[in-house]
Amino acid sequence: MPQLNSVYRHREFQDLLTLSGYERAGGWNGLKATLEMTPDDALYAFHRSGLRGRGGAGFPMGRKASFLPVDSGRPTYVVCNADESEPGTFKDREILDKNPFQLIEGVAIASYGVGCERAYIYVRGEYGHQWDVLERAIAECRAAGRLGPDAFGPGAPFDITLYRGAGAYICGEETALLESLEGKRGQPRLKPPYPAVAGLYDCPTLINNVETLAALPPIMHRGADWYSAIGPEKSPGTKIFSVSGHVLKPGNYEIVMGETTLRDLIFDLAGGLRDGREFKACWPGGSSVPVLTAEHLDTPLDYESLASAGSFLGSGGCIVMDDSGCIVRASWRLAHFYRHESCGKCTPCREGTGWLEKILGRIVHGDGRLEDLAMLESLFGRISGRTLCALADGAVAPVQSALELFRDDFERVIEQGGSPVPEPMGVINA
Amino acid sequence: MTAHEISEFLAPIRHEFPDQRSLILPALRFAQEEQGWLPQGAMAAVAEATGYSQAYVESVASFYDRLYTEPVGRRVISVCTTLSCMLRGSDELLAHVAANIGTNGEGTSADGMFTLQRAECLGACDRAPCLQVDSNDQQGPLTHDAADAIIGALRADGAPTRYDR
Repeated sequence: MPQLNSVYRHREFQDLLTLSGYERAGGWNGLKATLEMTPDDALYAFHRSGLRGRGGAGFPMGRKASFLPVDSGRPTYVVCNADESEPGTFKDREILDKNPFQLIEGVAIASYGVGCERAYIYVRGEYGHQWDVLERAIAECRAAGRLGPDAFGPGAPFDITLYRGAGAYICGEETALLESLEGKRGQPRLKPPYPAVAGLYDCPTLINNVETLAALPPIMHRGADWYSAIGPEKSPGTKIFSVSGHVLKPGNYEIVMGETTLRDLIFDLAGGLRDGREFKACWPGGSSVPVLTAEHLDTPLDYESLASAGSFLGSGGCIVMDDSGCIVRASWRLAHFYRHESCGKCTPCREGTGWLEKILGRIVHGDGRLEDLAMLESLFGRISGRTLCALADGAVAPVQSALELFRDDFERVIEQGGSPVPEPMGVINA
Repeated sequence: MTAHEISEFLAPIRHEFPDQRSLILPALRFAQEEQGWLPQGAMAAVAEATGYSQAYVESVASFYDRLYTEPVGRRVISVCTTLSCMLRGSDELLAHVAANIGTNGEGTSADGMFTLQRAECLGACDRAPCLQVDSNDQQGPLTHDAADAIIGALRADGAPTRYDR
């Protein structure tokens, strides 16, 4: 099953934490090739590559970049979303930890394309270690002239500012991130206008995830055609999946899109389950997506196939649960997450996530009634699709799908008087 | 932390932000480094250094989990209890850490050394069950013995010279 370390260059090369090491591994070839093009041609290359946003939404990156007005008369900004917080997702952490220069190069490439002289990388507050790595890498780039007054050639300046969050899942939502970067509470904005037109400081802004931007250097070095030929036409390229939960080898796996199935990812790459355990469920794209069952295991991993299976590729954070886990308890834990992280701006989300947690909590703790399931069902449509951002949809998706696919489990837990506390898996890979 | 110290910290990065409001979050993080949380005096100093009202500065600070508006221990231990960690025993780890430092679940130990909090996904599900001390690298997968060793080492270290939450 095809693995290709395109973003995870550090798995092929040593010493990528120094600028010289990164250069020896082919670093900056992508930017060099980009700087020989006009910005328009660079944008066209982004588009032709077929690269889609790796943060969760999967929107075509080149198209997004093309939405920025050329003659707005205002500065243009590139913002890198390094606020990785989606449960089950830790792919960007490894890029920041091990391959920071490729991200810097990717940010520079995107910035050249849209005419940005100062980009911002917004790092989640909890990533203190990753912040330190990135800070050192940027300092080294400045000292070597890779960033600064002549970064894109004599008199063509470009620089990157690091910005640190302070603990808020919602700041991974792009407009909430911009609010936070502007020194405000991290609450999403009403869209439109989209960031491409009125983003950071009300200026045209391209905002992309770490993995998306780190994908650009090999694309620009080897060519858009190279990338678009990898994997399926509509979902080309490589994608990093973070696998966690009840698997023997949790970790990140960069795979060719469409050529690996969910079964390959879980049972081969991630080592499968403990002896005697059966697969119960997985959340394939972070926790904000509908849950899948054993009957979906042969689904290829790409945007279209996962959508056809009833879920989403999302961020690629694949959380796996075996038959020792309880789907009701898992749903309750996720409901807690969304209730805690709701920013409180939209009433359906602020109140609705609280109700989801409360109802699921009483079922788990033995105070549930069968009518609670109908009450849950009546809530979904009153929360989903009625808010400024997708957090509320993400809160509903895993619960609604679990209730649809595992209704017997919910009924049994209610009838049995609660969900038994599971036997913990214990540390098996210490 | 005085407004002057904060201004000196901000001076080299001011030009990176067209709107000076963006300096509030870096200023709050910097102010928190001194005592590990943000007493009223620190909020006032941030307000003075950035030119915004103290009320506004507090409204920003109160939004973010890692900006502490109440006193916390010298080290903040965050145990991730979101789904991936839960499936690998995070709840038991949380209870074990609480027993070690003598808190009843989340809270601050009597000697003021530790604050224990449950955290939402720390982005280290491959290390589940995991914990994070302040904003240091996430540690795991942790046996209860390994968690005890981490806490023991922190006790021996005492208070850090600066707090990075």
